Amino acid sequence: MHVALEDGTEIVKGVDLAVNMDEVHAVMGPNGSGKSTLAYALMGHPAYEVTEGDVLLDGESLLELEADERAQRGVFLAFQYPHAVPGVTVTNFLRSAINSVRKARNNGEDDPIPIPEFRKEILAQMDRLEVSRELASRYLNDGFSGGEKKRIEILQLAMLKPRIAILDETDSGLDIDAVRVVANGVHELVGPDMGALVITHYQRILNFIKPDFVHVMVNGRIVEEGGPELAHKLEAEGYERYGKAA
Amino acid sequence: MNAEALERYQALPLPDTTQEHWRFTDLRGFDPDVFSRGQTLAVQDVPAKTMLELDVAGLATITESGISVERAPDGITFQRLDEGHERLYSLVGWDEKFAAHNAAVWQHGLLVHVPKGVELDKPLYVRITSSANESALFWRLLVIADPGARFTLVEEVVSSRPDLHAYTNEAAELFVGDGAKLEYVSLQNLSRETWHFASHHARVERDAELDWVAGGFGSKKGKVRIQNDLAGEGATSRVTGAYFTDGEQHLDYDTFQEHIAPNTTSDFAFKGALRDHSTAVWRGMIRVEPDAQKTNAYQENRNLMLSPTTHAVPIPGLEIMANDVRCTHGATVGRVDREQLFYLMARGLTRSEAERLIVRGFFEDVLARVELEPVREALATALEARIPQG
Repeated sequence: MHVALEDGTEIVKGVDLAVNMDEVHAVMGPNGSGKSTLAYALMGHPAYEVTEGDVLLDGESLLELEADERAQRGVFLAFQYPHAVPGVTVTNFLRSAINSVRKARNNGEDDPIPIPEFRKEILAQMDRLEVSRELASRYLNDGFSGGEKKRIEILQLAMLKPRIAILDETDSGLDIDAVRVVANGVHELVGPDMGALVITHYQRILNFIKPDFVHVMVNGRIVEEGGPELAHKLEAEGYERYGKAA
Repeated sequence: MNAEALERYQALPLPDTTQEHWRFTDLRGFDPDVFSRGQTLAVQDVPAKTMLELDVAGLATITESGISVERAPDGITFQRLDEGHERLYSLVGWDEKFAAHNAAVWQHGLLVHVPKGVELDKPLYVRITSSANESALFWRLLVIADPGARFTLVEEVVSSRPDLHAYTNEAAELFVGDGAKLEYVSLQNLSRETWHFASHHARVERDAELDWVAGGFGSKKGKVRIQNDLAGEGATSRVTGAYFTDGEQHLDYDTFQEHIAPNTTSDFAFKGALRDHSTAVWRGMIRVEPDAQKTNAYQENRNLMLSPTTHAVPIPGLEIMANDVRCTHGATVGRVDREQLFYLMARGLTRSEAERLIVRGFFEDVLARVELEPVREALATALEARIPQG
């Protein structure tokens, strides 16, 4: 897959990945290597154009679909910098999102989640992710700390139950305890119904979400691939041997 | 017919954009004298769509053919306003073109007078329906809360048909006596072909409280003037506004917080969302008179542009003649952020669902100020209904 910006600048210059259910893939690379662009392009951000190649989910192309339709089919992106939506509580937002996905999966007919079921699940997931229950009634990401935002991203992941979870630098800005909680939260969701693509600069999150495959991305290309041992090697040696990032 | 007001009306030119208060509201194409008026009109008997379902203590309706009081609670005055009432014109006179037009020719008015210490559990409600095509409808409200009285008056202004061509002109005078509390709700949802002008003026006495909600959804163009005089020590007024414009609509709010007595508080917060080619002007003026020490005044106007072709003009203003006061204001025009929209869509919300959520969130803090739940819900519903289904 190739991805360019609106001005035509090519950022992702040929990346070929296949993630199966129950697999964790890590994409590692230095800053500016195109990792986040890859994540945005997979989710369907309008500022990034896929100029070559395709994005397939269960064999079906997603390229012509907008972000909402991709999400409804089971693509999830945990944002590096989640956006604030003042005036909309975490609870209301999550219920709206779940109901949108349920409606899409019910051939466009409303199929709202029963409130008791929703309540029970969100409280259980919040406890599991060690998210303060008080956050549920606060406005989405409005004044949240970096750690709270990332936990709320994973809470959304747990509630929406996608087929493929793409984590964009979810570990950045977190202390090690928070990385552990967040990573364990994701790790427990990986299984026969979900695969994960973990995009990261550092190896430490991979201590908690064991990758089955590691792909090293530099300057828009995958330059090396291997098993989990590759992540440890990168941690020790850095990215310099792949040359300077563009 | 009030001859003096009529003379004044005829002497005053139609305001044009060379006047500061009309700089952004261009009335070209509007002639208030071409609209017919009077009781002889054939009023179409079409029930207007209303925004509110309220359990009310008193109910009155006003149309071109007159005012009808359908229910009035015991112990208060809730009746047709008489032209000879002593307080009439003391707050809204005929110093301005449209106020003068109203004073000159109005026929249908409602008098609400709640005696000393009387509290009403349920709101009083008046519905004004503009229902005759190519016609003008003038009405007046005279509201008196005697000392210690507490009640709510809800006014809803609608058209009988969405394509009705009309001119509507309202004057409302509200007196809030010592220690009284008046909640006043004014919701306007006129047709998109209605020129709408209104002058609301309230006087708030010692330790009295005025809580005001203004909702603007309909009309073509015009101006709504809101003045609150904080006339007695310890008086408080709070005005909460929410508006939504689309198509070619133009709304204009001209507000005036007049602090006359010391230790008075006023808090005006207006929020509006705009779509398509619609425009909105919001002008705020806080004036603190020399004796009004310890004034605490706030004014805020925030706009959310849902289309790049909309235009919102917030014009805050301060005029302070006392030296120990606290006056603050805020004005913004923002747009729906593409990244915010993407974030919500990446969770499965359609574009219109995401927009609706952002709009709901934008209005959340002003809606939270609305005490009456049915009014709050009606406002939220009206706001969200304006986002097209995707």
